[in-house]
Amino acid sequence: MSITIDARGFSCPQPVLMFMEAIKSGNESQIIVLVDTDASKENVSRAAESKQYKVSDILQQGDEYRMTIVKN
Amino acid sequence: MFKLKLFKGKKQQRLSRSELGILVFENTSEVIAAQKILLANNWDIRVMGPPPEIQSGCDLVIEFPLIQELNILRLLEKEGIPPIETVPVTDPLLQPVDLFQIKDFGEFLMIRAANMKITVEKSTRIIVNVSGGGCPDVPYLAFILVGKTMAQAPNPMDIGHTLCGYALGLAFKEMQQKCSQW
Repeated sequence: MSITIDARGFSCPQPVLMFMEAIKSGNESQIIVLVDTDASKENVSRAAESKQYKVSDILQQGDEYRMTIVKN
Repeated sequence: MFKLKLFKGKKQQRLSRSELGILVFENTSEVIAAQKILLANNWDIRVMGPPPEIQSGCDLVIEFPLIQELNILRLLEKEGIPPIETVPVTDPLLQPVDLFQIKDFGEFLMIRAANMKITVEKSTRIIVNVSGGGCPDVPYLAFILVGKTMAQAPNPMDIGHTLCGYALGLAFKEMQQKCSQW
């Protein structure tokens, strides 16, 4: 299953907490996270790696990032 | 000598506001250096956020027992880090503010100290996020800490090299205290 989290407009740690909430069930094999700061992008990446997920793609669109995160 | 003993050694009961003063320094490095010296000399002091009315100096101040102002100033001058200002905390507007901001997200707890934030999952005590700052070692600190439990993680003050590491260390210490209460 794939879900999309729109964390644009939220400051850290909220994008990370939204990601953590999304993976809680363990059913999501792909998570798309939308963020709008470098710090959020880095923090979500770190959180994903610490939870055995991998950032497979980051697409920059202006000031925003579309992160594709998949389960290892 | 009696007064000296009274405020040195074991932590005394918190003094009333009128018995306290704050030391304002030029920059945070001086606050860190002064804190180390004063604690090493057994003074009961606290690092706090400055009152909003004090515009000069940095974003940290040291609260101290006012009655020992001369002894403390003498020591700091001897060590080459005199404060730029010493202010008695008599005016309510001049009360230093708590350095820590705590935000409860339900399953997660965030503690902010100065410019740094640490967030922990309450049920596991795993550090899920480290953010803030802008110092060059913040990504390194976050890399080392995120994913570890509070018990496993090293103290950021031991591995950091900047003021962000120092602020994160203060938040980390406060989080350790909170964790011990759960």
